[in-house]
Amino acid sequence: MSKSMTAAATSFVETFEREQDNLPGAQGWLALARKNAVTAFAAAGLPHRRVEEWKYTDLRQLLDKANFEAAPTHQGAVLLPTRASACAFKSIAAYKMVFVNGACRADLSHLAGLPKGVELHPLADVLSEHWAKNLIEHDAHENGATRIIDLNTALMRDGVALRIRKGVTLDKPLHLVFLSADKGASHARNLIQLEEGANATILESHHEADATTYFADRVCDIALDKDARLEMVRLIDEAASALHLSSLRVRLGEASEFAAFTLLMGGGMSRCQTFVTFAGKGGKAHVDGVMALRGAAQGDVFCHTDHAVPGCESDTLYRSVLDDEATGIFQGKVIVRPDAQKTDGRQMTNALLLSRDAAMNAKPELEIHADDVQCAHGSTIGELSKEAVFYLRSRGIPEPEARRLLVTAFLDEAIDRIAHIEARDALRILAAGWFATGTGGAA
Amino acid sequence: MLEVKNLHVTVGDKEILRGIDLTIGAGEVHAIMGPNGSGKSTLSYVLSGREGYEVTQGSITFKGRNLLAMSVDERANAGVFLAFQYPIEIPGVTTMTFLKTALNAQRKARGLEELDAVRFLKLVREKAKPLNISDDMLKRALNVGFSGGEKKRAETLQMSILEPVLAVLDETDSGLDIDALKVVAEGVNRLRSPERSMIVITHYQRLLDYIVPDVVHVLSRGRIVRTGGKDLALELERTGYAGFGADAA
Repeated sequence: MSKSMTAAATSFVETFEREQDNLPGAQGWLALARKNAVTAFAAAGLPHRRVEEWKYTDLRQLLDKANFEAAPTHQGAVLLPTRASACAFKSIAAYKMVFVNGACRADLSHLAGLPKGVELHPLADVLSEHWAKNLIEHDAHENGATRIIDLNTALMRDGVALRIRKGVTLDKPLHLVFLSADKGASHARNLIQLEEGANATILESHHEADATTYFADRVCDIALDKDARLEMVRLIDEAASALHLSSLRVRLGEASEFAAFTLLMGGGMSRCQTFVTFAGKGGKAHVDGVMALRGAAQGDVFCHTDHAVPGCESDTLYRSVLDDEATGIFQGKVIVRPDAQKTDGRQMTNALLLSRDAAMNAKPELEIHADDVQCAHGSTIGELSKEAVFYLRSRGIPEPEARRLLVTAFLDEAIDRIAHIEARDALRILAAGWFATGTGGAA
Repeated sequence: MLEVKNLHVTVGDKEILRGIDLTIGAGEVHAIMGPNGSGKSTLSYVLSGREGYEVTQGSITFKGRNLLAMSVDERANAGVFLAFQYPIEIPGVTTMTFLKTALNAQRKARGLEELDAVRFLKLVREKAKPLNISDDMLKRALNVGFSGGEKKRAETLQMSILEPVLAVLDETDSGLDIDALKVVAEGVNRLRSPERSMIVITHYQRLLDYIVPDVVHVLSRGRIVRTGGKDLALELERTGYAGFGADAA
C-alpha cells in the first residue's frame, strides 16, 4: 500500500473490491472505467491541505477521523428534519425525485406527467447508452479538485439520468432531494444532458433524515448542447457533524446558458465544487451562492471556470455571513486559454464576519492567456458597518432588526441573481429566517 | 421640550463640549452657529446617542425624560430625529423598504398599528412629491450613489414621514447648490409646527435666510458664547466668528 492510502482511503478501496461485481454497469464499459478510477484514487489518496485546490480543507483527516463504512440501503420510512430549510421548496409545483443514502426511492418521488421528450431514469438504466458514457468520461482538464470524482466513479450506485430532447422545455422544475438516513458514506451520480434548445430548472435539497454522521458524496455531470438553458437552485443544509462533498461538472455548448445558485447553510463540513468548461462560442455561465454558517460549521466553495473558446461570459458572486466559530472558504479560478478572445470573466466574493471567532479564507485567481478579454476578480471580508447600524437605529429601528436588515440585504444581492422567481423568494425567506432565529442553520 | 444643562462631553481623551446650557421650548427653532471644531456636530451626535461620545458632566432632559439613559432607537421612538450631515449609505436596502421598516418600528414602539402597504405607499408618494423624489429614487438602495442633493432630500423625506418632535439638522446646507437648498428648506419649513422643535446647526448664515430661526446661539470651543434673535446671524455674517471671542475658522 502506498503512503497515500490512509485508513479511509483503504476502506473505500476495500468497499470497491468487495462490491464491484454488484455495482451497476458491471458487465459493460463502466467496469473498466471504475477500475481505472479506483486505481487513480488509490494513487492519489484523499485530498489534503498540501493539494493547492484543497488548501483550507483536509478531507483526508476528516474522513480518517470519521471512519465511515458504506451507508446501508434504507427501505423504511424517513424522518425529515423539522428545520425551515427542509420544506423551503414545498410550495413550488415540481416533479420530485427523492434519494435516500444515495439510492432513488420511487415510493417517495412524484414524476407523473413529464412532457414528451423528457427522459428521466435511474442511473443504472442508462449506463449502456452513449450519452451517459460521454458524460461520465468527461474529457475536461483535470486538476487537484476534480481528482476526487474518481472516488464517486468507482463507487456510485444510483442517481438521476435526465435527458431532455431537442427544443423541449421542462414545464415544471425537477426537485431532487438527497437525504442521508444512516451513518456511512454514500455516492450518488447524476447525469444531465440538454439537447439543442432544451430548457430546464432543477431544484436540489440536501439534508439529513435522522442521521447525524455521514459522508454525502454527490457528483453531477452536465452537458448543454447549443442554445440549451439550465438553471439549478441548490440548498445544502446537512447535519452538524456531516461531511458533504458535491461536484458539478458542466460543459457548455455554443450559446448555451448555465446558472447555478447554491445556498450553503449547515453541515460540519460542506464542500461545493463547480467546474465549468466552455466548449462552444457565446456560452454564458453564472455560478453564484450564499454561505450562511454558524456554530463550528465549515463551508468550502471551489469554482473553476475554463474559457477554452472565444466569446463566452462567466460570472460568479458569492456572499458569506459567518457567525460563532464558522469558517468560510472560497477558492476560485478563471482560466482564459489563448484562443478565448472576447472572454468576459468575473469572480467576486464578499464575506461578513459576525463574530470575532469566525473566519473567511478567500482566494480568487485569474489565469489569462489571451489579450482581448475583460476579466475581474475581487474579495472583501469585513464586519457589519457600525455606522450603518447606528444610522438605522437613529430612525427608531431596534438593533437586532437593524442588523437583520443589513445582513439580509447583503445576502439578497446574491440571491436576487436567481431567475426562477419562486425559488428566489423561497431562499430569500430562508436566509432572512436563518439570521432572525439564530438556530436555523447549523444547529 | 429640551433642556441641556452644563453638558460636558469628551471624545477619546479630548473634551469637546465644555458646559453647554440650552433650553428649547415646543415649536421653537434654534440655530446653532460656530466655526469648524467648535463642537456643533458633537452636540448633534450626543443628542442622538452615538457611540464614542462620553458625557462626563451635566444632563439632557427631553419631554421630562432623561435622554442620556435612552438607547439610540428609544430616542428616535420618543421623537428625536437627526438629519445627518453625511447620510450613511445602506447597500441592498431600498429607500422604500427602509422607510417602511423605520415608520412601522416607530409606530409599534408607540403602540400604534403598523401601516399596510397601500396606506404606506400613499403616504410616501404624498411626502415625496414636493421634494422632487421620484419612484425610481425610492427603489434605489438608500443613499447609495445619491448625489449630495439627493441625500439631503432623502433625509428631509424621512423627517416628513417620521414626524419627529425634535429635529436636529446637522449642516443640512453643506454640499447643496442654491436650488437644492431651497427645496430642502421648503421641506423643513412645511414641518414647522407649534408641537415640533428644531435645532438647525450650520456654519453659514445662508441657510437661515430660508429657515428663519427664533433664537441663534454661537458655539465656540465647546461653549455657547452668545445667544440672540435672528439678527445675530446677520451680525455674524458681517463680523465673522472672531468678533465673538471665537477662533476664526
